[in-house]
Amino acid sequence: MWRIAESPRITVADFFEAGRQALQLDWAANPDAAVGREITEVALNRPGLALAGFMRYFAYRRIQVLGLAEMTYLGSLPAAERIQRLKTLAHVPGIVMSRGRRLPGYFQKVFADLRVPVMRTHLVTGHFMNAGTVLMQNLTSPRIRVPGTMIEIDGVGVLLEGEPGIGKSEIALALIKRGHSLVADDTTVLTRDSTGTIQGSAVPITREHMEIRGLGIIHVPGLFGVASMRDGMRLDLIIRMQKAAVGADDIDRTGLDAQFRDVLGVPVPLIAVPVAAGRDLTNVVEVAALNQRMKQMGRDAARELDEKLKVALARKD
Amino acid sequence: MDSDKKTTTASAPAVARDVTVLNRYGIHARPAALLVKAATGFACEILLEKNGVKVNAKSIMGLLTLEGNHGAKLKIHATGPDAAAAVAALADLFERKFFED
Repeated sequence: MWRIAESPRITVADFFEAGRQALQLDWAANPDAAVGREITEVALNRPGLALAGFMRYFAYRRIQVLGLAEMTYLGSLPAAERIQRLKTLAHVPGIVMSRGRRLPGYFQKVFADLRVPVMRTHLVTGHFMNAGTVLMQNLTSPRIRVPGTMIEIDGVGVLLEGEPGIGKSEIALALIKRGHSLVADDTTVLTRDSTGTIQGSAVPITREHMEIRGLGIIHVPGLFGVASMRDGMRLDLIIRMQKAAVGADDIDRTGLDAQFRDVLGVPVPLIAVPVAAGRDLTNVVEVAALNQRMKQMGRDAARELDEKLKVALARKD
Repeated sequence: MDSDKKTTTASAPAVARDVTVLNRYGIHARPAALLVKAATGFACEILLEKNGVKVNAKSIMGLLTLEGNHGAKLKIHATGPDAAAAVAALADLFERKFFED
């Protein structure tokens, strides 16, 4: 039903844009060279050994990070020698210098010729290695765009899905009025982040808007305040809204038979809720989210009652 | 236009057609509404595709997330009994530049 997921390819320019604030990056040399320059191995490398002359294993497809150790080592070499060593970095996608260092003169000369983009971070090397790796993995994590409205209900991320016109946005609107927050209306982007959890977010261009039949397009934070929106949220539960008559077989009347949907390789709990005139679906969705939260805390009401029943019935034997 | 493809199964014929966004401002709110209005008149499932991303043609917000700029190449996919008529109706809107320009 959902189309095949994709893992985006990223360029050095993408990495720079995403990390400009989070990793405190700015350009030290050759920003133009970053455009369209793909990072084919999503990881960071400290090229100490390569600079020292050991080239047999050099992860040259990765972004290279020059910290205090590398810079001090290069600085200790005779001028001609260090230029030679620096040229071993000719084919890397990009270079980051940590601790906000200024580019030494010999560096500028070498990289003006090599056209390798050089960035500078104000973070210390260790922190940059950690934060940069997570950022890069999240940028390239597998993602999929799915039809559905996502909402955060008391800390539980819920994706509402169902045919157009079944009332997803109306329920989301009612939930927003009850103090919950919209993540994405109509179209939700799901990604599997570096820790293996599924995150939902909106397509940036329509993030703050919803379409309500009869009203047209509305601006959610404008009407309901900034608390009515969330940029991203973990996906905990999928609720499939379906017309009451169709597929009544997969409606779970006890809550004992948990269903799951495979989302980018991660099983996500799924419940099917029948839509019929007179049902207060907003309430049902809100309670479903709370019930999911209770399950995550280790309490399963359906199972508890079933256990209690079995014990009581066994006594009557 | 050029690449009408029909793979007819017993129950649900599937039709696809390439279209180009011809109006200057692309698929903004008004053209999206026209497309939705046309699409909801048909029973079949209709998807619009750009660069591999498919959205439901019966949803305004879905269409807006496509960011169909002027000149963008899109593909209409329809599956269902009235798929051929639906594709023709939607393609017609593209060709008429959504009554703009």
